[in-house]
Amino acid sequence: MSGSKPDILWSPHHVDRYVICDSELSLYRIGSIGSAEPKAGTLPLSQETAATLLAINSDTPYMKCVAWYPKHEPECLLAVGQANGRVVLTSLGQSPNSKCKELMGREFVPKHARQCNTLAWNPWDSNWLAAGLDKHRADFSVLIWDISSKYAPDIAVPMEKIRLSSAGDTDSGLVVTKPLYELGQNDACLSLCWLPRDQKLLLAGMHRNLAIFDLRNTSQKTFVNTKAIQGVTVDPHFHERVASFFEGQVAIWDLRKFEKPVLTLTEQPKPLTKVAWCPTRTGLLATLTRDSNVVRLYDMQHAPTPIGDETEPTIIERSVQPCSDNSVISSFAWHPSAQNRMVVVSPNRAMTDFTVFERISLAWGSTTSLMWACGRHLYECAEGEGAAEKDRDIATKMRQRAQNGYGHDTVQVWRNHLLAGDLEQKQQGPKQSLIYSGIKNIVKSSSGTTENRRCWRGSDRQTDVARYQSEERSLALRLCGWIGRGPEVDVEPFLKSLELEGEWERAAAVALFNLDIRRAIQILNKGASSEKGDLNLNVVAMALSGYTDEKKSLWREMCSTLRLQLKKPYLCVMFAFLTSEPGAYDGVLYESSVAVRDRVAFACMFLNDSQLPRYIDKLTNEMKEAGNLEGILLTGLTKDGVDLMESYVDRTGDVQTASFCVLMGSPGDVVKDTRVQCWIENYRNLLDAWRFWHKRAEFDIHRSKLDPSSKPLAQASDHT
Amino acid sequence: MELHILEHSLKVASIAKEGIQICTHGLIKLAFLPSKTRCKFFSLTETPEDYTIIVDEDGFKELPQSEYLSVAEATWLALNVVSGGGSATSSQPIGVTKIAKSVIAPLADHNISVFMLSTYQTDFILVRERDLPMVMHTLSSEFTLLRVVNGETVAANSTGVTNGFVKPKLVPRPIIHPLSSPSNMFCVTSLDPDTLPSVATLLMDVMFYSGGVKDSGASGDDSGHIRFFSFSLIEGYISLVMDEQTTRRFPNNVLFTSASGELWKMVRIGGQPLGFDECGIVAQISEPLATADIPAYYISTFKFDHALVPEENIQSVIGALRTNESAGH
Repeated sequence: MSGSKPDILWSPHHVDRYVICDSELSLYRIGSIGSAEPKAGTLPLSQETAATLLAINSDTPYMKCVAWYPKHEPECLLAVGQANGRVVLTSLGQSPNSKCKELMGREFVPKHARQCNTLAWNPWDSNWLAAGLDKHRADFSVLIWDISSKYAPDIAVPMEKIRLSSAGDTDSGLVVTKPLYELGQNDACLSLCWLPRDQKLLLAGMHRNLAIFDLRNTSQKTFVNTKAIQGVTVDPHFHERVASFFEGQVAIWDLRKFEKPVLTLTEQPKPLTKVAWCPTRTGLLATLTRDSNVVRLYDMQHAPTPIGDETEPTIIERSVQPCSDNSVISSFAWHPSAQNRMVVVSPNRAMTDFTVFERISLAWGSTTSLMWACGRHLYECAEGEGAAEKDRDIATKMRQRAQNGYGHDTVQVWRNHLLAGDLEQKQQGPKQSLIYSGIKNIVKSSSGTTENRRCWRGSDRQTDVARYQSEERSLALRLCGWIGRGPEVDVEPFLKSLELEGEWERAAAVALFNLDIRRAIQILNKGASSEKGDLNLNVVAMALSGYTDEKKSLWREMCSTLRLQLKKPYLCVMFAFLTSEPGAYDGVLYESSVAVRDRVAFACMFLNDSQLPRYIDKLTNEMKEAGNLEGILLTGLTKDGVDLMESYVDRTGDVQTASFCVLMGSPGDVVKDTRVQCWIENYRNLLDAWRFWHKRAEFDIHRSKLDPSSKPLAQASDHT
Repeated sequence: MELHILEHSLKVASIAKEGIQICTHGLIKLAFLPSKTRCKFFSLTETPEDYTIIVDEDGFKELPQSEYLSVAEATWLALNVVSGGGSATSSQPIGVTKIAKSVIAPLADHNISVFMLSTYQTDFILVRERDLPMVMHTLSSEFTLLRVVNGETVAANSTGVTNGFVKPKLVPRPIIHPLSSPSNMFCVTSLDPDTLPSVATLLMDVMFYSGGVKDSGASGDDSGHIRFFSFSLIEGYISLVMDEQTTRRFPNNVLFTSASGELWKMVRIGGQPLGFDECGIVAQISEPLATADIPAYYISTFKFDHALVPEENIQSVIGALRTNESAGH
């Protein structure tokens, strides 16, 4: 320390006091900036805190180490170990009380001068001060002084030998030369600490070993040969755990198994200068190497020294950089009580107040809540009650749906199943499997397509629109829900149902695509006159009635431009259809606001055998990429369908829908897909996590019915 | 008791006084800039005849090859006695006296040549590397033998080979070399390595420019005065042996002084250079001292040996040694 890098020492009892020691001792008080007016001599340590210099003591030159009196009073009594081995008691600040006065200036002098490396004040009997010295021949290197002992001349030393009466020693009442205990003969002592196990146990880092001296029986010592003898320090939270170091390596010892280190930490390229356990957090060790601007932290919280276990416990290592300007750290000290807080000091005595942030661990709840933990705080983030239905988290939605019995009643997607149902029974052979394989596969297998040109219904005008028909196309139309069973292509029941649901525009469009302008106009009129009807529908009907197939008519020209301003997609596609060149229906086919099933049905009617598969392929890929469930119509519940479902789950997290779709729709191999099994398992886990035991049981029953391959679940046996 | 066999491989060399300037670069580096070399063991002793250097292999590389530099052919190993800690016996004899009977005499009995280096901190007994099996055999009954390997102390197994070893000849050991006792008194001391830079120029002056100091010295014309200075830096520890006049040149509180502040007188052994093969010289001196329980330091140099004994004991030491001397005749 003599003129070298400053060290820092926190008062053991006064949490706002610390001492910086280099060539002199400086006492500081730390406080928040807000509480005090910025005074001269106040040094900012962080944005919130500042230090005030209270006192300086430069009475003790050649300082090598300093120890703070462990008891509450006297407050600022310090022991200073000097380069010549003497230990001097001194104090800082405050006029000392009588006890302190008596002790101040007292010197403890070893027989032979050599450097004092370390001091350790016994925390229970504060009269005992242990000093660790360098080696001197056969002399002792660990001396335990009684600070309250009265000076008594050593009678064993012949008087003529007490020759060295230098000026400072004349006041010999202050000089003590007889230690209470002398230990570690013929050895050097580099570091010391008292063991919490017993007030008479002292752990010492000697020249080539760590030794435990038992003052109840000084002829015995426990020791282990090691190089890691510097900086011995006991974990304040785990009294059998000790850290020591050698050059760049820290060794962690368990005193119950004091044979070899229970673990060694990653070696640092530069020698260590300080190692300290965090007093406010279990298993956190801070280390500092020479000329470094980071403090390295080792978290052993989850590694409670496996005894007799050869596997190395896991340690989380990280670095913190306390100084914002990257400056080198000379030393650091943990705050005795503020959580994870430390003050670091740089070689030029600049100080920084710093709190080590705890690692944050984070977990999603099974509902929408998110929890995270940081230090001793736990935070929860939950979805607000006021969130709009559609903005709710998927977990909330799934939970609600599960409560409402979703999936157990039929909904849209598996109308496929029902629509195809009868046909399944009638028809055998290769076509049967097609039903589940999606329209994409159905149209691919299409053969025997007939082309016809029909008149506009209720008009004798011939259209130049070609319509295509085949058995497969009919099946596709049925799957789209446009027509019912039977050979006839009759959309009337479908139109009726749309009218009932008030889907006027859509119904009109379907009627028009079936070349029935009158029906379309009729539907629009009906829609305009219905309750809450849109009167604009009449205007549309009017426009529709003016239809002419004359290519260069004003009607065509106006309709093809103005249709783009129509907000309603179905109205828009109606005019697109009427103003298109035969066979070129992109305005209808790629209007993404129109339901996929309607566009597909349209395509099945108006695209020829070469156009149709191309269009369906393109649309299928679009659906798969977007994870749009409407695309199931095209893919069926094939591997393609699972791909589509995968991108849907990726996008939404809705394993519930995915599980039900795949289970309901598909026999056979698709269910065995690992992705499918994963969704199903995840959904079951979710139900369990929500404690929906009954819903989960229902799901399992449902599943075993639909997928016979699923293993029957073991029944919980009842032994009552 | 433990005997540690240290891991340094040492060379013992002599630099002629007139050739010292070609070696100063390396010596200053070894003495004052330990971070610039890998050397862990360095000792320099100046006598009126020459400079004796004891240095490990890494440090030896810092010295130039020169006609002024003579090197003893063998590689030496340092032994160090560590007494079992804990026992609180009050007064311990210091230095070679402590180990005279347990180490020095048995080695002499087995015709093993030793080279001694006492420092402020401890005593190093240097033996030739090739003699190590014999050393271990000789001392294994008395000591726990430990070997230092990469800084860790491990048990050293005695080879157990006893065949061919000559039986010790247990004969009285008369003193056969002439003795002399210079008039100046010496301090054995040390200093804090951190303060070394502040006294480096002074130390360099003492080490390399001693000729000039002698003139200005108080006892310049004292015929019994001897020029003797020893500096060592071994495993980070500094040790200094110098006469009282030289200590006065150092600032207060830099040098370590013991509470009792002993001073030492020197007994110089040898009229002709002693060489490295003769055995028993240390034993001849240390055994009578041990019998009289007089503490002593012992520093061997390339040509002569030097024992340091407490000043108040010098007369009885001379007396005791003379007795032995006459017994030999």
